[in-house]
Formats: sequence, C-alpha cells, structure tokens
Amino acid sequence: MVNLIKRELRRLWQSPWQLALVSYLPLLGTLVLWWLFSAGLPTALPVAVVDQDQSQLSRMLVRQLAANSVVKPISYQDIGQAQAAMEKADVYAVMVLPFQLNRKLLIGHQPTIDIRYNAQFLLVGKLLSSQIQMSLADGLKQKARLKMLASGVSPEQANINLNMIKTQSSALYNANNNYVAFLVPPILIALVQIVAMLVFANALSDELRHNTLPEWFALGTYKVLWAKVLVYTPLLMLQMGVIYAWLYGYLGLPLSSGLGQLFAAQVMMLLVVWLIVLTIFAVLQDGARVISLCTALFAPSFAFMGVTFPTHEMPMLAQWWRQIMPSSHYVDTHIGVIAYDQGIDALLLQLFSYWGFLLLIPVIAVLLTKIRRDQAKEQMAEVQG
Amino acid sequence: MNFFSLMFEEFKAIVSDKAIAITLFGGVLFYSVLYPLPYLNEVPTKQQIVVVDGDNSSLSRLVIRHAQASPKLDVVAHVANLTQAQAAVNAGEAHGYLVIPEGFRHNLLRQQGVTLAYGGDANYFLVYSAILEGLVSVGIEAGKYIQFTGLLAMGETAKQVQLELDPIHLNSVPAFNPSLGYTSYVVPGVLLLVLHQTLLIGTGILGAGQWQRQGYWRQVSLGQLLCARVATFSVIYSIFTAFYIGFCHYWYQVGVQGDLGQVCLFLLPFILSTSLAGVAFSSLFVRRDLPTQVALLISMPILFASGFVWPVELIPVPLQAVSQLIPGVVTIKGMLELNQMGASWPSVVHLWWQLWGLALVYLVLAYFGVRYRLNVMPINNEQ
Repeated sequence: MVNLIKRELRRLWQSPWQLALVSYLPLLGTLVLWWLFSAGLPTALPVAVVDQDQSQLSRMLVRQLAANSVVKPISYQDIGQAQAAMEKADVYAVMVLPFQLNRKLLIGHQPTIDIRYNAQFLLVGKLLSSQIQMSLADGLKQKARLKMLASGVSPEQANINLNMIKTQSSALYNANNNYVAFLVPPILIALVQIVAMLVFANALSDELRHNTLPEWFALGTYKVLWAKVLVYTPLLMLQMGVIYAWLYGYLGLPLSSGLGQLFAAQVMMLLVVWLIVLTIFAVLQDGARVISLCTALFAPSFAFMGVTFPTHEMPMLAQWWRQIMPSSHYVDTHIGVIAYDQGIDALLLQLFSYWGFLLLIPVIAVLLTKIRRDQAKEQMAEVQG
Repeated sequence: MNFFSLMFEEFKAIVSDKAIAITLFGGVLFYSVLYPLPYLNEVPTKQQIVVVDGDNSSLSRLVIRHAQASPKLDVVAHVANLTQAQAAVNAGEAHGYLVIPEGFRHNLLRQQGVTLAYGGDANYFLVYSAILEGLVSVGIEAGKYIQFTGLLAMGETAKQVQLELDPIHLNSVPAFNPSLGYTSYVVPGVLLLVLHQTLLIGTGILGAGQWQRQGYWRQVSLGQLLCARVATFSVIYSIFTAFYIGFCHYWYQVGVQGDLGQVCLFLLPFILSTSLAGVAFSSLFVRRDLPTQVALLISMPILFASGFVWPVELIPVPLQAVSQLIPGVVTIKGMLELNQMGASWPSVVHLWWQLWGLALVYLVLAYFGVRYRLNVMPINNEQ
C-alpha cells in the first residue's frame, strides 16, 4: 500500500495543474470570494431623493434618511432624472417628497410619500424598502410627539403613546445580519466540492492520459483506488481545515460549538464525491468528457444548498436533485454545528442520509470489471497480432 | 478552402467532439431547466413560527390570530418559554418565534408600553426577512388597534383617529420585479453567465484539442481560421441566446422591458467578444480537460462580481476593475438595465462600446495566442 501511495504522490508531483488544485488555487479562490463580500454589511447604498416640497419637514426627513447607515441619499431635481438613474442602477430606490407635504400635514390632510425600490436587485431592494420606511417612521414620530406635547400631553405619556408596543427583534446565530457569515461559508463549501471533484477526476483521467490502465489493473484495481482516496481525502480535508481556520479563527465569525463533528461530515462528503466521479469515469472513460459531465452536475450545487433560497420552498424535483449533491448534505451538518450546537444523534442522521449513494458501489464494480476485461482482451489481441 | 466550407469543418469538429457537445448542447439545455428549478415557487410564504404566549388574554390571542392570518407566517405551536422556542428553531420545526410578555393586555389598557419580542433563524436570510416582515406588520397592526380603540373611547371620530395614527401615507412599491420573485431576480443574470461560460469552454476544448495535431486548421491562414471559428460559434450562440433570452424568459415569466432590436444589438458584441475571448482562452491550453476546469473555477467569482447578487458599490475597487475585462460581467449589467429595467439605449451605450473594445482586445490576444500555438510543430500522434 505504501508503494501505491508513493505512486499516487509521484503522479501528483508530476502534474502541475493537479498540484495547483490541491494547494494554492482553492486558497486563491477563497480569498477572492471572501474579498468580494468582505464589506459584510450593506452600507451607503445610493437612493435618489426628489424633494419637491423644500420645507423644514422634508429636509428633516432627508436628514433622517442620511442618518441611516444603509442609505446614502442623493438629491435629484426632477423625477425624470431620478427614474433614469434608477434604470441605470446608479441608485437603488427613489423617494419623492411631494409638493405641499408640510402644508397638507399641518392642515390635517394625509399626504403620500412615494417610494420605488429596485426589486430586480432583490436583496438590495428589500433592504432599502424596510430601512427607508423605518427611518421615515422615526422622523414622523418626532413630529407626532411635538403635536402631542403641544396639546398638553406630558412628555412621559407622549413617549408611551408613541411607542405603545415596542418591538425587539433578534437575528439568531448571526446577530448583525452579516453577509460574510451568511453567504461566504456555503459558497466556499461549494468551491471545495468543485475542487474535490476536479482533483479526483484528474487523478483518474491521469491513468488514461499516460496509458497506465494496464499497470493500474496489474497493481490491483481496488488497491489503486484506495491509494487515491487515501492521498486526496486528507489533502482536501486540509484545505477545508485552512478555510475553517480562516473563517472562524481569524475572521472570528460566530460559532456555537467545537468543529469536531465536521471531520466526520467532511470524510463522508468527500467519499461520496469520489463515488460519483468514479461512476462517471467508469461510464465515459475520457478525461475531457468526464470533466464536462461532472461540471454539469456540480456547477449549480450552490443554488441547491438551500441557504439563499430555503429548501422547504423548493419544488419537489429540486428537493430530489438536492439529495444528489453531497454539498447539500454537508451544509446541513455545517449549519447544525456552526449555529445549533447539534448533538451526535443529529450528526448520525445526517451521515445516514447519504445511504442512497451506496447503490453506486455495485454499479462501479460491474463497470470496472468490464473495463478490466476489455483491457485484457486488447492486450491479448496485441500479443497475438 | 472557401470560407463556408471552413465554417462547415468547424461545425463538424464541434458537434462530433462529445466533450464539446455535452457542454454546448447538453449543458445549455440542462441548465435552462436546472438553474431556475429551485426558485420556481418564487417567494417564501407561510414560514413556520412558534409562539410563547405569556399573557393568555383576549388581546394576546388577537395578536396570534393576526400572525396566523399573515401570508408570510404559519403558527405551528405554542411553547412555554424562550428556551423551548429556540430548541424548536434548532430542531428545524420552526424558523422563528414570537414572544408575548406577561401582562401584555393589562399594561396596554393602563396605557403603559409593552415589548413584543421576535426572533428568526438568520442562517437563512430570506426566511428571516419573511418572518420579520410578517411579525413587524402584526406588531404594528396590534399597536394601531389599541390606539384606535383608545382614541375612539376618548371621543374622537374614526376618521380623525385614522389621520392621527397615519399622518403621512408611505407608499413603498417594488419596481421592475413587482412580485419580488426570486426567478426574475436570479434567472436573467445566471442564464447569461451560462452562455458566457459554456462558450468559453466550447472554444477552449476545441482549440486545446487541435494545437498539437494536424488538420484543416493548419491548412488555412490564421485570419481565416479566426474568422471562421468566431463566425461558427457566433451562429450557434445566436440560437442559444435567442432560446435563453427569448423562450426561457417567456417560459419562466421573467419581466422583459427591452426593445427587441436594441436587445439584439446589445447582444451582438457580447457574442463576438466572448467568442474571441474563448479563442484567446483556448490558446492557453493543450490538454482538452483543462479549459472546463478553469472556466468552472472562475464562474462563481464572475457571478458574484457581476453585481446583481451583491451590490457593485460594496465590491472592492480592484476586483471591480478586473471584472470590467470579463465580457460576461459587462453584459449582465447591460442586459439587466436594458431588458429588465427598461433603460434607454443612450444610458447603456457605454457598456456596448466597452464590449466592442473587449472584442478588439481579445481579437489581438487570440491572434497572437493562436499564432504561437500553430507555429509550434504538431506532434503527430494521431493520423
């Protein structure tokens, strides 16, 4: 076995691309993806403000908006310009403070403040909608308070009247709604899965490229496979270890328990990725085609993790497809460990959820036997010819 | 060899190469189903929450009924305390909770402030925001109900009370994607990315497989080869693009605001610059299994750098600058503005010129790259 592992390591050493895949490329990818989201919290998003009233009230509301860290109000002279800016995505929302806003308020008519937010950029749009409404409501409360004080209500009572029902909302497990903590770990899990797939596909195709299939079968079909598994599983786990150390050690993202359980989950995920790649390899037996088909399978895995769009809202077919992606099984364990401090029983259930992939093993066995027989026949033909 | 027979040779090489065919024809069809699949239900509704009712009064029950009536919420259980509520969230039985404190009704009737507490699982932002929006509106409605009855009791008329509670009407309306649907948000960008990436892969595999062999590509001039290759891929991708931007947008009911002529005009330099970038990309490789791997690894950064998932304003400037060299990033931005948000042609024309500029840059790179590859003598291991 030691010799077989040495054989694998030698092959790895001789392939610069494979070496890059197990060393610096994933780390580079990690850095770039983290850097993209490194702002963490959306701040200073441009919002067009069209102030047609130019009253003390409208200026107060704009100031109120400017005080919100999420919003960066930008003044526009007329609605046409603001609309054009919104269509170019220069601003993500338009707020119109109508003519005679202050007057209508004072004489007891109910004026309307129009807000249009860009829902094509769903994340930004929804955030701005709620933040703008919150800021304006706060501003208007001040107005209402003054009115009550003027009509003889005591300050204490006025405060209570305004905030009859206060609300206190808590974002569990990610207290300040940090996008780095929300998005980056699942994205990196998807990245590691892709790298794992590529690495194993390359390790298998390498035998084709160098015409070493006979050597493989002579050394023992399954022994060589085990050697590959023994070489690449620890290497990929090391990558994940570095990523976790970076995220939860250095960046200090919230973490509820020890990461011990993740080792078992990582081994399981990698073994299943190996199984899928091996099946595809045994069917196609061509380096470029194996990569193409594996890419088709694994590229959309992030969408199916259920982190951005919740699993229980996906249609049935998508939920089935999700079961085929090892990363979606893994992300359940990941969130369980990171957030819920889950017990061993939950981990065992999650590991057991991979059982369907066991069905691949007999398929692989049959296919590999067939490949070995074909190979032997070819050799016989060569010897006889 | 005349130009059309050269194009025919190219086309034959593309469809007879199974690795390219899987990616181009298989991939483009497969992804048109797979990528939108998770989002077909569009918006999260009826998120499960548990309630801790410490008050058990008529008013607390009213609040719970309001929560149940909200389209965003579904009250699945009553639990005794906050610990149990959080346990339910951990176990996945619910995604959020509402706590009504003891003395809720009593304090309200005595005109004292009370606090409602909400919580949600922020591991899933979409679920969390749905729960929060639902609960906040329930809280506001409950508060208004109390104030309404209180002010009525003091002898004000209903109309006066309405005005006092709502002195200014806030009319906040989503634009461009009025249903706030997830499909309309994700599909236009992702489909363009799929076109971009598969085109890079297709040209990449084709080139990488040819450089070290003898064949028709060595029997024509470099200019002819480049023109024929770009023309062939452009024809194929015009059909794919028409399928994605035309049929798929219609099928998934993505809002379309663009003018057909302008959209076609805008996509022309996209297809050309991406084909040229693909040919330039292909000259980096001599192994047919490598272009796909590189394209796959860069696809997630390209997706997130294109600015519709995560706002461009928050992306670090160096990354923004680099991403301007990728035709896909420029196209996604331009197409979202032109086709989804109804921007006028003059406001996207700078992106159009940028795509032409990129086409020129990649033409030069493709020219020198392919010349370098073809000047190296072929290894005649086949034929």
